[in-house]
Amino acid sequence: MKIAVCVKHAVDEAELKIGPGGSPLLAGAAGKMSTFDKNAVEEGLRLKAAHQGEVVVFMVGGTESKKTLKEALAMGADRGVLVTADTVAIDALRTATMLAAAMKRSGPFDVVICSEGASDTYTGQVPPMVGELLGIPYVGYARKIEIDGKAAKIERSLEDSVESVEAAVPFATSVVSEINDPRYPTLIQIMQASKKPVEELNGEEIAPAGSRRGVEVLSMSSQPTARKHVMIDGSPDEAAAKLLDALSKEGVLK
Amino acid sequence: MTIFTAEHRQLMQMLHPGRHQEYSDVLTSLGSFMEKELLPLSPKLDSGDEPIDRPRSALFAQGMSLIPFPAQYGGLGLPFSVYAMAVELLGTADASVALSVEIHNAVAEGVLRFGSEPQRERYLGPMITGRRLASFALTEPASGSDAGNMATTAEKRAGEYVVNGSKMFITNAGEANVYLVFAKTSKGPSCFLLEPPSAGLKFGAELKKLGMRGSKTREVIFSDCRIPEENLVGEEGKGADYAKAILHGARIVVAALNVGISQLAYDKALAYARQRHAFGRTISDFQLVREKIADTKTGINAGRLLYLYASRIKELGGDYSSEASQAKVFATEMSLKACDDAIQIHGGYGYTTEDIHRHWRDARLLTIGEGTSEVLRMLISRRELARAQ
Repeated sequence: MKIAVCVKHAVDEAELKIGPGGSPLLAGAAGKMSTFDKNAVEEGLRLKAAHQGEVVVFMVGGTESKKTLKEALAMGADRGVLVTADTVAIDALRTATMLAAAMKRSGPFDVVICSEGASDTYTGQVPPMVGELLGIPYVGYARKIEIDGKAAKIERSLEDSVESVEAAVPFATSVVSEINDPRYPTLIQIMQASKKPVEELNGEEIAPAGSRRGVEVLSMSSQPTARKHVMIDGSPDEAAAKLLDALSKEGVLK
Repeated sequence: MTIFTAEHRQLMQMLHPGRHQEYSDVLTSLGSFMEKELLPLSPKLDSGDEPIDRPRSALFAQGMSLIPFPAQYGGLGLPFSVYAMAVELLGTADASVALSVEIHNAVAEGVLRFGSEPQRERYLGPMITGRRLASFALTEPASGSDAGNMATTAEKRAGEYVVNGSKMFITNAGEANVYLVFAKTSKGPSCFLLEPPSAGLKFGAELKKLGMRGSKTREVIFSDCRIPEENLVGEEGKGADYAKAILHGARIVVAALNVGISQLAYDKALAYARQRHAFGRTISDFQLVREKIADTKTGINAGRLLYLYASRIKELGGDYSSEASQAKVFATEMSLKACDDAIQIHGGYGYTTEDIHRHWRDARLLTIGEGTSEVLRMLISRRELARAQ
């Protein structure tokens, strides 16, 4: 089974600083593998363990993002493909186009696995776009994947329900974090990861942008969050009754 | 929280410009593992609700102890400064596990440096992969740093040594399956590898300690305990020299461990100072709280630079005994002040909440263990006076 996994070198939200105007300070911000992408890699490795084959990790990014690709290789992926591009200047469709073009060159793949969304921008647009561009079915928000021959049974984690669907192989999917617990690569695996093959492709060469003008981000700012303050007065008994009432109305007490 | 920070990464870049990315990858992964798998367990390790075995084994499985050892024995062969920084991260995640692993690795270094090739083959690989847990049995009920005055004896009889005496405050005792035992033969203090179970080897009850409660500490008692002749490490009579050499390296690591403890206490105090209000503003706005923040941060950075400086001298093959002691004296004493200030910033909660005063209780051991500050100051001054001649 040939398995493609898409990963992103995302901004490390734990180290992200917010500027005085409320805008995140992205220049020079530390990066890491997008949190949920670890679940995508893990699922690829799990499927490989069950069905044999190969896990190839694809990423669009600059040279600074190689450490994310290396982390996926340390987890156990067999090889990596880095599509070089200025990720700040491209939108989701452009990213998906480059990923799909790279996959067509080293495919075809039986399963294409992405995560539900990147931990920094969280648009969730790339996975279905990749499926569409490859011309294969797409099943999003998978929390369980079982493949038997040419058919896959997938449980989708939706807002208030779980949906079970079947898809024909090949297919593309996005996984949610509950699908598995990503493994930690051991230090030996990290040291050995740099010996695994990584192919570098120029994004503009494999998928020319042409005259298309993508989505431009004009500004980005953090959303102010206001906490609700409720002052309760009266005697202790009255205040306790009012507090119980207020908590019930908020749905805290049922 | 992120244990391996941009500051650590920058220091790796300064120390190892050619290979810093590789070393940072190792430390990033290890830090990430510790944040998720060890840090949340730390209060339970302190309270005794979580035994140390599982997290320590998981850490060994990640490769923590492989870092500084040569590839020919299964290690990663990375610089000592990378290992020391890994112990700093571990000190942040949990000081007890860090203490247990640090002692274990100190024994492994002793076997590497002074053991015979058959001893290395038999013990080193299993130790650095965590299949064998090691313990360092030097201190005695009536002698600590004064290793030359030990009372435990090893008498050579018909192809084996018969050991009598006892060792006190021994970390990992009762759990370990290899002990580096120091005992006096007719030629003076000597060093042996002992594998339990062994007739004549007993352990005292687990000692109740102020801090470092996750790690097990017991007395080790030898009553006609027999050790095969081939388990003598190095030469008879050189045990005190071996112990000193092992402890010089361990002191660098203990300094790193204390920097790690301080970092966590500082992070908690800083976060609390920024959210605790008094007189209409956060207490971080008050000048005297800011003084504590400034002094602690300065101390942590100074301690970190000192242990990395000593590590670098060790890596380059120089004499690092004074610098290792300087790092330990400074970092352990700084750590007590940092943890005390963290309690002070937390006010009444600092005195009552285990989560804050645990760090001071953990830090308190290490101005005593592995060389008291007083003895190390003697060592530093003696070495510096000798250098001046």
